[in-house]
Amino acid sequence: MHLTEEEMMEQVYGESENTTAVERHLAACRECANSFSELQRDLAALNRVEAPTRDIGYGERVWASIAPLLPVYRTEKRPWWTAGLWKGLAYAAACALLVACAFYAGRVWEQKKQPPVAHIQPASPQVKQPIVVVVLDDHLDRSERFLVELKHADMDSAAMVSPMGDEARSLLAANRVARKDAAQENDPDLTTALDHLDRLLAEAANEPGGLNGATIAKLQDEMNADGVLFEVRVLRSRIAHRNGDGNIPSKGGTI
Amino acid sequence: MSNVRMDKNDHATIQAVLAGDKEAYGTLVVRHSQTLFRVAFRITGNEADADDVVQEAFLRGYRKLEGFESRANFGTWIYRIAIHCALDRVRHRRGDETSRVGESNDPELDQLQVADQAAGPERLVLSGEIGAIQQAALSSLTATERTAFVLRHMEDCTTAEIGAALGIEPNAAKQAVFRAVQKLRRRLAPLRVAT
Repeated sequence: MHLTEEEMMEQVYGESENTTAVERHLAACRECANSFSELQRDLAALNRVEAPTRDIGYGERVWASIAPLLPVYRTEKRPWWTAGLWKGLAYAAACALLVACAFYAGRVWEQKKQPPVAHIQPASPQVKQPIVVVVLDDHLDRSERFLVELKHADMDSAAMVSPMGDEARSLLAANRVARKDAAQENDPDLTTALDHLDRLLAEAANEPGGLNGATIAKLQDEMNADGVLFEVRVLRSRIAHRNGDGNIPSKGGTI
Repeated sequence: MSNVRMDKNDHATIQAVLAGDKEAYGTLVVRHSQTLFRVAFRITGNEADADDVVQEAFLRGYRKLEGFESRANFGTWIYRIAIHCALDRVRHRRGDETSRVGESNDPELDQLQVADQAAGPERLVLSGEIGAIQQAALSSLTATERTAFVLRHMEDCTTAEIGAALGIEPNAAKQAVFRAVQKLRRRLAPLRVAT
């Protein structure tokens, strides 16, 4: 098996994939060796074609001939601050446009989602009630805590007694709002209880000399006489039952 | 090392050109003209054509300069452009040619003989004319074969590089070189004298 002309040519140009095997074959096969020598000789003869030399000024002449034909890249140069300003303005305009589009899209989407005005029903008392209940429950919770503190107040401790006046004033304002709502809802039990609580809080809040041992004792007597703490707890229990939660955490103490 | 430095210089020059300094392109023209002329001449086989190819290559290069990738080597890039220009020129010229070497029955060509490696001095006096004969033999090739052969045989390009320059697969480039060598050997065989 002799080497093909293509294999020999690859060997001459150093691109043979198996140089060693080709060399071994050329050493063993006289016919292929002769053909290979002829190929080398022919290719070597073709090396005689050489390019004429060009002098050192050739490049300059080439440039001189083409330079007039070439346009200039980006002739105008803007000051850096102008470029920066335009770039900044472009960004600002793009952002403003984006925000405007988002706003408009939001409006359109909102209008599409909103039901027609004619179909809106006036808010029913049942809708408003949960909010009142929550506020009332909170008020009763605070009131119960205040009453428990009052019940167990140490008459000789000024540090314990003095904050109770501020708390009484705060509760008094909330109690009047709750009582007004109760009157509007025509709830006599709630109104009565809040009346009792109002009277007690008013006395505690408006005591001329502030709360002291004597006034605390007087308030405790009134509280026990009216059963205010008991009423508050009953009301809280009723509200909790209405909300479906029967557990009312006790604030400590008993009546 | 010097190639790397030149490459860096080329890149800096290109940036200057793209920034509006047209004259900077002259530096690149001066730096690479000789190389382009050499390959253009070898492909076209004609000085006038080679000069035209060099100018055309630099003109094309300038127009495409914005698309030049900074990772590439400008010398290689403009070299390939010159190869394409030369190839176009040869193809264009082929359309105008009516005769080829070997088909002309030129009696002078038939009488000339290629000097053998072991040839005597009396035969070497013909060597000046041998170049012209071989040039004529090269003209008998197709434009692609001639270019592939020149790049392989005279410019020491690998078949992969030839394929990249001509826009063909490496195997197709190898076949083009092979066909060129076969044809050249056939053309020159009658001129060879055995010792």
